[in-house]
Amino acid sequence: MTSLRARAVTGGILWAVAIIVLGLAGLSSYLTSQTQARFVEVLETRHAQAVVAVSNNSSSTQDLVRAIGDLAYQVPNSGQYWQVESDEGAIFASPSLVEARLPRPRSQNQGFIRREIAGPGEQGLLAISQWVTVKDGSMWHVQVASSLESFEEEQVILRNTLLTAFAFVSFVGVLGALTQVAVVLQPLNKLRQDVSGRWEQEDGLEVESYPIEVAPLVNDINTLMERNRDIMRRSRRQAADLAHAIKTPSAIMRNELENLDLGGAEVQEAIDALDRLDAQLKRSFARMRADGTDATVGVATDVDTSLGRMQRAFTALARNEGKSFSAAYEQNLRVRMDQSDFEEVMGNLLDNAMKWSASEVRLEASEAADGKIKITIADDGPGIPKEEITKATQSGQRLDTSMPGTGLGLAIAHDLVHAYGGKILLSKDEKLGGLAIHMRLPFASAKRAD
Amino acid sequence: MRILIAEDEPVLAGQLKKTLSSEGLTVDVAVDGAEAQYLGETEPYDVIVLDLGLPIRDGLTVLKNLRSGGNDTAILILTARNDWTDRVDGLDAGADDYLTKPFHMAELSARVRAMIRRKAGKSTPVFTKDAVTFDTRTNQVMVDGIPMNLTSQEIAVLSYLFHNSGRLVSRAELSEHIYEHDGDRDSNTIAVFVNRLRKKLGSDLIETVRGRGYVIKAAT
Repeated sequence: MTSLRARAVTGGILWAVAIIVLGLAGLSSYLTSQTQARFVEVLETRHAQAVVAVSNNSSSTQDLVRAIGDLAYQVPNSGQYWQVESDEGAIFASPSLVEARLPRPRSQNQGFIRREIAGPGEQGLLAISQWVTVKDGSMWHVQVASSLESFEEEQVILRNTLLTAFAFVSFVGVLGALTQVAVVLQPLNKLRQDVSGRWEQEDGLEVESYPIEVAPLVNDINTLMERNRDIMRRSRRQAADLAHAIKTPSAIMRNELENLDLGGAEVQEAIDALDRLDAQLKRSFARMRADGTDATVGVATDVDTSLGRMQRAFTALARNEGKSFSAAYEQNLRVRMDQSDFEEVMGNLLDNAMKWSASEVRLEASEAADGKIKITIADDGPGIPKEEITKATQSGQRLDTSMPGTGLGLAIAHDLVHAYGGKILLSKDEKLGGLAIHMRLPFASAKRAD
Repeated sequence: MRILIAEDEPVLAGQLKKTLSSEGLTVDVAVDGAEAQYLGETEPYDVIVLDLGLPIRDGLTVLKNLRSGGNDTAILILTARNDWTDRVDGLDAGADDYLTKPFHMAELSARVRAMIRRKAGKSTPVFTKDAVTFDTRTNQVMVDGIPMNLTSQEIAVLSYLFHNSGRLVSRAELSEHIYEHDGDRDSNTIAVFVNRLRKKLGSDLIETVRGRGYVIKAAT
């Protein structure tokens, strides 16, 4: 669908063009008729002047020239002409006509005749002519003509002036339309930015800060975000409940089988099958969790709060094993991950590091230059050979079966980190000599002060 | 050594009790959170194995209540949930260790023994006093390298005294730590067990402080 801005701008421009074209046509037609009327009026005045002159001085051209004293009639081909003819055929004309003569209308109409004729040098002229009877009873055909050139020039100037004025009006109008569109659409732009910003946060959008036309949409978005979070929470809880319901019976079966095993019964195949069942369950739940994050919206976790919890927990676990655990992290970091997912990643990786370390595990978290959250977990264990690193992140690939576990920890962490658009890299730790796990996790903007 | 198992699944609780009892530990079972908290507050347990998914009062609340009441018994949490958040919640609330279901019974008893040992400030699993050695992993007692045959009550008394070596332990305390909650506690029988231990392991292993109790001095 076309954008609202494009629709508003196109609509505004089309409307403006229609108004401008109509306005231009109307105004132009009115001003042309006004100019024409004024031109004719001037010509009629000249004709009246000529008629008066003929009435008083019909004897000779010289007398008439003197009587019709306008200088424009003296200059050859000036564009202003008069011509007087007696009913007997004598013709008197203004010196501006030189040798040329104005054609007499074919019509024998005694009244006022106005027509366009060709003058000297194919000049376009507007001519007014009339038969008048003077005091001595003689009839005279009095004709004045004026070049249309000046009229046309005036028309061109008028048209140009109008076009310039309307172009300016159009420009201002389009600017105005764009500004208006921007102002009108501003709440929608704000909504878009807010939605993409708040998507990362727990808070809903503030309905009061939007115009009433947009408020219902904002409400709907809030409901949608809340529903999305609800669905995620519910499915997580169901998965956890299911895991809980299956694991206790599984533990009972395992104990019974182990007792039978100790008693010399042939139960190894059953124990293996139970191992596969447990591993499959763990993998499936981990997969459900990672897949569920695709629909996760509006989540963010305070890294220092969460790592504080992990630090206390793993310090206790490290003490149990006579190892040391240290954590250094910047304050006020926020990661765009659900807290339980973040802790799942950290728990699995720290548990692995603790299991493999000889005596020491270190955790560091800081904000990277590109704004991501950088977390490193390093241990002083045997590490992973380069060629095994890819295999290590694959689900269920146990590199060393001498340690207890399902070999899923690293794969679970890997899947979750990727599901959130983060990155996880394995290398040898330069300081401790064991495995170093480097993560880059998406940054979440600061929580709103309210 | 007395252990409280707080587990609502009766079959699993029975299996746990059977395994730990067979290792010379005295085991009580609580089937819900309220009972677990009551027993934890009133009985002197050496370790509490606490399932987080208990009815009536969940394990995490029980753990927090015990810790806020000043109880510092070693607590091992059991969880069937996959979430690390659950485990971290438990450890952060003061649990000493965790185990996720399904677990190997051998792992659980090893963890429990390690917790008892740590509480006693001991890092190795074998106690030694002169010619006598006591292996907490197998409950094997040897004198000059010769294995001795002890009853489970004798092992329970010896184990408690070794884990508290250097400290005077009263008869009442001993009986509290070797008899079950609803068992028949007769502190006179303690004297009988101690006498038998002296006969089997030598008379100078356990010293009697008349009218006050017993002590194993300077065990390593």
